[in-house]
Amino acid sequence: MKRKIAVMCVLALTGTMMLTACGNKKDSNDGKTSDGKTAIRFATWDVADDVDAQQKLVDKFNEEHDDIEVTLEAYGSDFDTKISAGMGSGDTPDVMYMWNYPAYADGLEPLDEYIDKEGDDYKNDFYSTLWNYNSLDGTTYGIPVGFTTHSLFYNKDLFAQAGVEEPTDDWTWSDLQAAAKTIEEKTGQKGFAFQMKPDPYDFEMYLWSNGTAYCDEDGQMAGQIDSKESQEVFKMFQDMEKDGYAIATEKNGTDEFRAGTAAMYVYGSWSIASLNEDGMNYGVAKIPSFDGKTSVSILSSSGLSISKDSKNKDAAWEFVKYWTGEECNKARIGMELPVLNSVVESEGIMDEPEYAPFYEMLEQSDGHTPASFLIEDWSEISENLSLSFEQIFNPSSYMDVKDVLKEAADAQ
Amino acid sequence: MKQRKFLKTATPYLFIMPWIIGFLVFTIGPLILSLIMSFFDWPLTTAPTFRGLGNYIDMFTKDKQFWKSLIISLKYAAIFVPLNMIIALFLAMLITQPVKGVKVFRTIFYIPAVISGVAVSIIWGWILNGDYGVLNYLLSLLGIKGPKWLVDPAWALLAVIIASAFGVGTMMLIFYTDIKNIPVDVYEAASIDGAGPARKFFSITLPIITPTILFNLITSIISSFQQVTLVMLLTGGGPLKSTYFYGLFTYNNAFKHHKLGYASANAWVMFIIILLLTAVVFKSSSAWVFYETEAKNSGAKKTKKKKGGRK
Repeated sequence: MKRKIAVMCVLALTGTMMLTACGNKKDSNDGKTSDGKTAIRFATWDVADDVDAQQKLVDKFNEEHDDIEVTLEAYGSDFDTKISAGMGSGDTPDVMYMWNYPAYADGLEPLDEYIDKEGDDYKNDFYSTLWNYNSLDGTTYGIPVGFTTHSLFYNKDLFAQAGVEEPTDDWTWSDLQAAAKTIEEKTGQKGFAFQMKPDPYDFEMYLWSNGTAYCDEDGQMAGQIDSKESQEVFKMFQDMEKDGYAIATEKNGTDEFRAGTAAMYVYGSWSIASLNEDGMNYGVAKIPSFDGKTSVSILSSSGLSISKDSKNKDAAWEFVKYWTGEECNKARIGMELPVLNSVVESEGIMDEPEYAPFYEMLEQSDGHTPASFLIEDWSEISENLSLSFEQIFNPSSYMDVKDVLKEAADAQ
Repeated sequence: MKQRKFLKTATPYLFIMPWIIGFLVFTIGPLILSLIMSFFDWPLTTAPTFRGLGNYIDMFTKDKQFWKSLIISLKYAAIFVPLNMIIALFLAMLITQPVKGVKVFRTIFYIPAVISGVAVSIIWGWILNGDYGVLNYLLSLLGIKGPKWLVDPAWALLAVIIASAFGVGTMMLIFYTDIKNIPVDVYEAASIDGAGPARKFFSITLPIITPTILFNLITSIISSFQQVTLVMLLTGGGPLKSTYFYGLFTYNNAFKHHKLGYASANAWVMFIIILLLTAVVFKSSSAWVFYETEAKNSGAKKTKKKKGGRK
């Protein structure tokens, strides 16, 4: 804090941009290692144990290929900054993990031709919903590596204590509310937890489930986010909180769920590992529906992309194929949910009760495109939406749903 | 011969060369580049386009958040700076008292200043949590129902101020060394004249340490405007953007919205604001800062004049 940190960040970044830009010109080694192999740089955002596991998979690839040498670069939490800086200075890794296609598509290689060369069977083995999340305006920029949908987590002990029947896959939100109310009365713990400041990207799934969205296909929000269906969704969550049997959490709700102070919450598969570690007695079910409409989940997906500037795209594609193939999908089970039909089948993942709902949600969530892919200045719109949602859900404001959404739509 | 002379003059510069290179490449270079960037529309993935003063005009005319963030930062500085100085001075007075075990207290007070901002943010996140935080638990023992510090916009700024006062140790140490340097005979003379502890503090300690107060005032004004770690990690700018400090605003424009040119312009505006504030403080300092050497000199002049008058 000795100097202006913000400035320093910008400065440091531009400084590195200058340096890397200068450095690059000098040692343009046309992507070869000293012993004549094709060098591929591979950037990952994972940290710690996951990186070790990934390094092993990379080593295996290098052993199998005499002519390609892949180096793993673990960027961790700096991933976005480093990829941005890399793209700014023409020094992007050849292969990189990717999720935010709207922001980076300009620097990525379109992959449709490569995929077509592999044939239909290659493409069809991936869950079809995932392709939508790895492309922009009809062009594919990434091969799916991992994903999670959202599902309903519930605490079996609290349900038993309150004498309430556990959630089933045909639950509606009214069923959830009734159960949550009873649990709150019988046990004194909150029946349901949701985020006070949800990531707008995630929250859109509830609007989809109720037959609307943030915006139309042209990215216009007016008439969509302030529609009657959208208002219903926000009103429902606000009312649950006002009635006292639900709590809007400061973070994502996992803390409350693990502590047993909330009996249900909707979240991705990320928390499974820590819940299992706690030895918690929990179950997972599909997200409840709005009166018989199909409930839909958002997808948080990761893909593998090739840089537009890569000098060795064929070698990069060779590695992408390996990394997204069956072998690596199997090896990553426990870190990621596999994305290949064949692997899910052969490993019997659908028989595991805590994983199956995520795939069921995946299958019924096809055909929706997140607003982040449709609205041009999504990162700013998203920040404004996040504030709007907080105005609705924060107990110290509880602003009127209709007014807030109207204002959000007008502000675009 | 000539060569030797050249070497003689060049040697010191050669020794500081590593520092100069570092300074040029990592400080001055980027600084100038960021000034240039502030006149461009500079997205990361595509080529920048020149837009003159457009970034600055947008900031002052179109961006409501700019004004809001600026006001939040000013508010924070207005409360944080005096509070921080009072606490630091109070602690410094405490640890200069001749009490047993004062070294232990000195260490305890200083430890938080050594902890990194990230850790401090996480610790205070736990302390301030509305439902299971330590602070509200302690308050409940007193029969007070604590507010939801990080959820209620009315309390969040105060929560951030409390958390940042945690790092008061550095300032305390600076006060401490200065107070320790005050000659004992001054106090002894005051005691003989019958001055009490309060009188001694206001008439001796405080005037003598005014240069240190000036130094601490300026550094804490600067650091309060640059505060970003704490809000980024503790509140994320929330609740309801009530702690969306100017630093965070700048950071998000650069790395969340990828508007590097605009963010550079933000940073330069902040730089100018800090510069002006510092200049104002410096200007005012002649009215309230007391330099011992200055007093001796002017005193000497006065006596000389008197002598002249007698002639």
